Amino acid sequence: MEEKEKKKHRSKHSGPKAEKKRKRYLNELGIGDEENARKRNPKAFTVQSAVRMARTFHRTQDLKTKKHHIPVVDRTPLEPPPVVVVVVGPPKVGKSTLIKCLIKNFTRQKLVEIRGPVTIVSGKKRRLTVIECGCDINTMIDLAKVADLVLMLIDASFGFEMETFEFLNICQVHGFPKIMGVLTHLDTFKNNKQLKKTKKKLKHRFWTEVYPGAKLFYLSGMVHGEYQKQEIHNLGRFISVMKFRPLTWQTSHPYILADRMEELTNPEDVRINPKCDRKISLYGYVRGAHLKNKSQIHMPGVGDFTVSDVSFLPDPCALPEQQKKRSLNEKEKLVYAPFSGVGGIVYDKDAVYIDLGGSHAHEKVVEVRPNHELVQSLISTHSAIDVKMASSKVSLFMDSRPLGSEDVGQEFVMPKEEREMDSKSGRVRRKAVFEEEKENDDAVSDEEDDEEEGEAMSENGSDGDDEDEGEEESDRELLGEEMALGRVKRLKTEVAKEEAVSEVPAFADSDDDLEVSSEGEEGKAAPEESEMEEDEEEELEDEQNESSDSELEAAGKRAAESEQEEINSGDPEMRSGVSERGLKRKAMLTTDSGNCTAEEASESETENSSLAESDDEGSHDELQAQESDGKGSKHTQARKADSVNQSKHKAADDDVENLLRDEDEYEEQIGFSAETTGALKWKEDLTEKAAQAFLRQQRSTPHLRKLVYGTAAEDEDPESEDAGDELGGLFHVSRPDKASKQKANALDCSKFLVEKPQDWALEEVMSSIRDCFVTGKWEDDKDAAKLLEEDEELYGDFEDLETGVVHKGKPASEEDESGSEEEEEAGKTPKPEPEEEEEKKKERMDKKRKLKEMFDAEYDEGDATYFDDLKEEMHRQAQLNRAEFEDQDDETRVQYEGFRPGMYVRIEVENVPCEFVLNFDPHYPIILGGLGNSEGNVGYVQLRLKKHRWYKKILKTRDPLILSLGWRRFQTIPMFYIEDHNGRHRLLKYTPQHMHCGATFWGPITPQGTGFLAVQSVSGATPDFRIAATGVVLDLDKSITIVKKLKLTGFPFKIFKNTSFIKGMFNSQLEVAKFEGAAIRTVSGIRGQIKKALRAPAGAFRATFEDKLLMSDIVFVRTWYPVSIPTFYNPVTSLLKPAGEKDSWSGMKTTGQLRHEQGIKVKQNKDSLYKPIVREKRHFNKLHIPKALQKALPFKNKPKTVEKKGKTPRDQWRPAVIREPHEKKISALLSALSTVNNYKVRKAKMKHKEQLKEYLKVKQKEDEQKFKREKEAKKKIYRILGQREKKMQKSSLKGSSKGEKSW
Amino acid sequence: DFEASFIRLIDKVTNGSRIEINQTGTTLYYQPGLLYGGSLEHECSPSRGIGYYLESLLCLAPFMKHPLKIVLRGVTNDQVDPSVDVLKATALPLLKKFGVDGEGLEIKINRRGMPPKGGGEILFTCPVRKVLQPIQFTDPGKIKRIRGTAYSVRVSPQMANRMVESARSILNKFLPDIYIYTDHMKGVSSGKSPGFGMCLTAETINGTILSAELASNPQGQGEAVLPEELGQNCAKLLLEEIYRGGCVDSTNQSLALLLMTLGQRDVSKVLLGPLSPYTIEFLRHLRSFFQIMFKIETKTPEEEHVGGEKVLMTCVGIGFSNLSKTIR
Repeated sequence: MEEKEKKKHRSKHSGPKAEKKRKRYLNELGIGDEENARKRNPKAFTVQSAVRMARTFHRTQDLKTKKHHIPVVDRTPLEPPPVVVVVVGPPKVGKSTLIKCLIKNFTRQKLVEIRGPVTIVSGKKRRLTVIECGCDINTMIDLAKVADLVLMLIDASFGFEMETFEFLNICQVHGFPKIMGVLTHLDTFKNNKQLKKTKKKLKHRFWTEVYPGAKLFYLSGMVHGEYQKQEIHNLGRFISVMKFRPLTWQTSHPYILADRMEELTNPEDVRINPKCDRKISLYGYVRGAHLKNKSQIHMPGVGDFTVSDVSFLPDPCALPEQQKKRSLNEKEKLVYAPFSGVGGIVYDKDAVYIDLGGSHAHEKVVEVRPNHELVQSLISTHSAIDVKMASSKVSLFMDSRPLGSEDVGQEFVMPKEEREMDSKSGRVRRKAVFEEEKENDDAVSDEEDDEEEGEAMSENGSDGDDEDEGEEESDRELLGEEMALGRVKRLKTEVAKEEAVSEVPAFADSDDDLEVSSEGEEGKAAPEESEMEEDEEEELEDEQNESSDSELEAAGKRAAESEQEEINSGDPEMRSGVSERGLKRKAMLTTDSGNCTAEEASESETENSSLAESDDEGSHDELQAQESDGKGSKHTQARKADSVNQSKHKAADDDVENLLRDEDEYEEQIGFSAETTGALKWKEDLTEKAAQAFLRQQRSTPHLRKLVYGTAAEDEDPESEDAGDELGGLFHVSRPDKASKQKANALDCSKFLVEKPQDWALEEVMSSIRDCFVTGKWEDDKDAAKLLEEDEELYGDFEDLETGVVHKGKPASEEDESGSEEEEEAGKTPKPEPEEEEEKKKERMDKKRKLKEMFDAEYDEGDATYFDDLKEEMHRQAQLNRAEFEDQDDETRVQYEGFRPGMYVRIEVENVPCEFVLNFDPHYPIILGGLGNSEGNVGYVQLRLKKHRWYKKILKTRDPLILSLGWRRFQTIPMFYIEDHNGRHRLLKYTPQHMHCGATFWGPITPQGTGFLAVQSVSGATPDFRIAATGVVLDLDKSITIVKKLKLTGFPFKIFKNTSFIKGMFNSQLEVAKFEGAAIRTVSGIRGQIKKALRAPAGAFRATFEDKLLMSDIVFVRTWYPVSIPTFYNPVTSLLKPAGEKDSWSGMKTTGQLRHEQGIKVKQNKDSLYKPIVREKRHFNKLHIPKALQKALPFKNKPKTVEKKGKTPRDQWRPAVIREPHEKKISALLSALSTVNNYKVRKAKMKHKEQLKEYLKVKQKEDEQKFKREKEAKKKIYRILGQREKKMQKSSLKGSSKGEKSW
Repeated sequence: DFEASFIRLIDKVTNGSRIEINQTGTTLYYQPGLLYGGSLEHECSPSRGIGYYLESLLCLAPFMKHPLKIVLRGVTNDQVDPSVDVLKATALPLLKKFGVDGEGLEIKINRRGMPPKGGGEILFTCPVRKVLQPIQFTDPGKIKRIRGTAYSVRVSPQMANRMVESARSILNKFLPDIYIYTDHMKGVSSGKSPGFGMCLTAETINGTILSAELASNPQGQGEAVLPEELGQNCAKLLLEEIYRGGCVDSTNQSLALLLMTLGQRDVSKVLLGPLSPYTIEFLRHLRSFFQIMFKIETKTPEEEHVGGEKVLMTCVGIGFSNLSKTIR
């Protein structure tokens, strides 16, 4: 019997058991499930997709680099100017209230009325200048240019208004300052939800305008007419910690937001001509860049001016001194707003009121200098001097500069006299710069004294002493007209200088003296007082002695000089002179005296004697006088003996520097005296000995400076004032002139010829430059040998890899070490091998360390990107900028670098239109914008321009447009153009709707890259958006290349084959000659070329075409005609308009406007009018073919006469079938049946299809499973097979190896 | 004569400038235009060297609208003006320090021309820059090498060798690294007049270049000069220049100061030798034009053997930017 086959075991394919098994199996193989693997080895799964990875990397890098700005050198000074906070918004939104609240928050003061900028100290390191901006577009434009921070007030109950958007757009164009939105009128919302919604809506709109995430403040409501304290406090905190971005225009130009204006015009001139140009002084902080004296400025709304003088004043709103406290104390919370009447004086149209009891006692009230016109009027009311006197006095004082009132906010309180001094300190920094040119040359030096005295008097006057004033008056009248404006100024500087040197109490006393002296002039000299003076003098002298000898001499000379000159007019003056003039003054006066001596040929002895006399008379300080006398005499003698004899000087005095300086002055003096004496020796000397003296001359820095900058520098430099000019009052000689004269005949060559070469053969001469060469000795830190040594010490021994030589450093120490080691190991058995090993180990360690160091250095270096390097470099430069002039006093610093930002300055401007003063309104900001080099010029400016998308109209070429560019607002006539593909600038009649186009106008030169905006009119209020276009300056040029198309037409008058003669295009042969070879075309498109002119008619020419022309053709040539640009440039002088009409400036009108106003219609060309097109009906005759022709034609071409078809005959008609009712029934039934059948068949088909589908699905599934199974099975089998094979192989290998062995 | 030529040159490089000279030639009205640049040629008057024209062009060239490429014809080397060789060796590295570099900056001597007839030709090209960089250039460094050119035109080529020999004899005492090229021009490139001369430059490790030069007397003027003597004198002049020292040689002091002035609003510093009279005059002009004053400090070298006193010039630039350059 055959054995029944047993059923084989079928392993489970599904169910938990199978699952378990599979798992075990997989684990055995070491392939866990995926999740497990991820946990086990996360690093392996970081990169899912390389592409995605690359993209993310790209993106992060993009974001990173996007944040980078081009690094700029940080040029902000240590003490920055106040931050300009512009509060802007539509009317009735709460601007003034906000400002008041802010001021109250910071200073605890309540201002009633805000006019003009208000400067407050908001923190230890920050001041704010808050200014309100109305919705006049002029004001908005001006303030957007100077703003650091904009507080944009938005009426939440109303929403955004046009002004807000306009201002934002203005800001965008002129550099985007920080903008903070403030929502007000939030209390009008009763519904909380509505409030929230509005806030959100406004916020998001604001964000789209500024930047996403811009700060928007909410002021929830008013309490007693003020905003809530806490909210304002928070806002203030925000403001005072805010950081600002540097704006290109602002950082590259100096500018001043004037917070005070005064008129300095001579009242007499005004009386004569009330419309005369005025001279005004403006006060404010310098911002942006360094302001240079004599530079050009632009006052938006007024015009361009040249600064006639700048001087810096003590800060009226100074930052607190160094302190460690966290907050400011009450005293330091200053507020300064002259226009609003805070900080001392309240302005009215024609008077000034002094606000005595400020809200804080420490807020020092300004005492106004009497030489200020306005104040003068005030005083006159006090003293009741008759009007004429007052006016005359004013005129006198007008010559001098107005002083004082700068010292507002000085911390110390003191009685009257001190105050005077205080005021003086106000003068202290006054400089007279470059004033000499304008000055009268014949001003006599003795005037100075008089003036000084006068000044003293004036001080008396300010004390309210009527009598004194009277005296002064008389004095003035005596001295009268000779006075030159500049002299007074200079004088004052001197006084100021002196004061700066002398101690405060001393000075106060000397002021006393002054008064006394002035009295003394009247003959009331009081002996006691003079004694007092003496004391003071001594004090002064002591100080001076300490400082330097030369000053003493100078003082002496000064004394002498004044004595000489004023010997008749009382000595107290002189005394006062001496006492007043501080050391510097004295120093500079040396020259004066010297000159005087030269002129008058008076010996030094006379000087001495005169001085002695003066001493006697005035009971002067003898000690000082004698000392100075002695020196003075010495010097004068020396001078006379030998002008350039320096050795003598050295012998006379050991202080070389002093001498050198003196000598220099001497030279000058001699130069001047030379003109009187006619001895031109000095010149020869100079030229001859220049080479020899050069090095020696340059020994001392001040000397060299003087040498280079000559008297001009001295003028600037109050020390040496008076030195060069107006000696004897007759000769006005400036040093540069002299120098140029000296050089005039010389060859203009930059080569520095060696006059007397050293003998280079000599050993010592040679050795003098030995170290200039690499072969010479080096400094310690650079000496290669030394460095090498140090290196060795550092790194020990090293091996020169190239040569293979092992350098051993510090052999001795090594020996020591080894010795010690040996000693250590003495007890043990000496083992040289391990020692060696140790050494090697050490060596290795060393090497490693070095390598690591190298790597570290490299890595750190390599990590720095180009950007970082650049940043670092900028930082270094910034540091250098700060450090370079830090140690110098302001006086000299100003000369080197100009008035740095943060300084409070007073700027004098001349030739200001009188309307500016007459129609002055402090509500409108006065900005002095500094202009760079050649930015004051006018030329053609090319712009890239785009019409603003919110502006309703397009702009027309040749319509006047008001541009705001740089500091300026001006009206000009732009021409729009577009650049063709070949670089041609083609004129456009209108700006494109949504595209950039070019524009060129005649106007002020402004650097490329400056943004601008255009408005069509600055006057009136339109509901529409006012900004017409925006853009950027591309190029500046002196010529323009805009062309417009010009087609010249002509007509053929004779036609050959392809050649025609054309007339009517040109007028002469010459014109044709110019166009020879030009391409021409007919309207019908036949192209051709101009060949040559014909003799007659004039202007006709021969031309060839590609085809034959018709007589009716019109020929034209396309040419380009350069367009000239109207040179129209009209600054918007909105500040000159009368108050209340300042926003009504209107310049040139557009033709359209004019037409509209005058009701003139455009004359239209009849030809270019559109008429309805009338097309007359065309009538064609029938084609007629002659009979003969018809006959001759072939059949197919013969005209066929197709006759009409006749009616079909009756018999050919077909009858219609008519069914019987029975037949009808049958056919109906048949059709119904067939329908039913059709339906059934279709249904069956559908069913069948469905079934088939089902079946296929099932089958596919089964197939899949089957396939899977098979695959599994195959896999298993193969694996097993593989394993078996492996085993086999292994065994075979073993076997073979065994076999080998066996072999 | 040469002034007229100079004015013509200025007219060529500018656009829109107006120049009026009255009949007697005593007054000159000049309305500045815009520096235009471009490709130009100019015939310089032989009464002054090309150096006279080139010096001012060096000042102006970085601020043109288009890069300047100009051919100047005239006297390349004479006794009065700094020769083209010297300017090439000294002024160009100086310009590079201010950021005016790139491939466009070049002076090429095509032909040499000696006075009195000239006939030389040079090509000067210069790129344009928007702003100049401030410099801090206070350490001249040690002189590492001396280079030079000894040229001779329309005379025996031996002249150059003789000059070199004699110059070396002096300079070798200081430094071994001396190389003086001999440049003998022939035919059309030798100009119209005979002459010879040499210029020497000393380069330091910090890139400072000091120079000296001498040229023979022009034909028919003065007595003949021995080349040996000239070589020796030239070497001595170089030593004199080294004695004066500074980071900029005396010829280019004014150029350096001008470029410092025209820099950005940053502090620039440069160490100079004693100021030449020309420089002093130049400083005054700078002051009247730009309201700029230099801080002048004298530095006495602490060490014994490094030459004479130096002057440290410091200034803040006026923030000048090239207004003629077009932006796109």
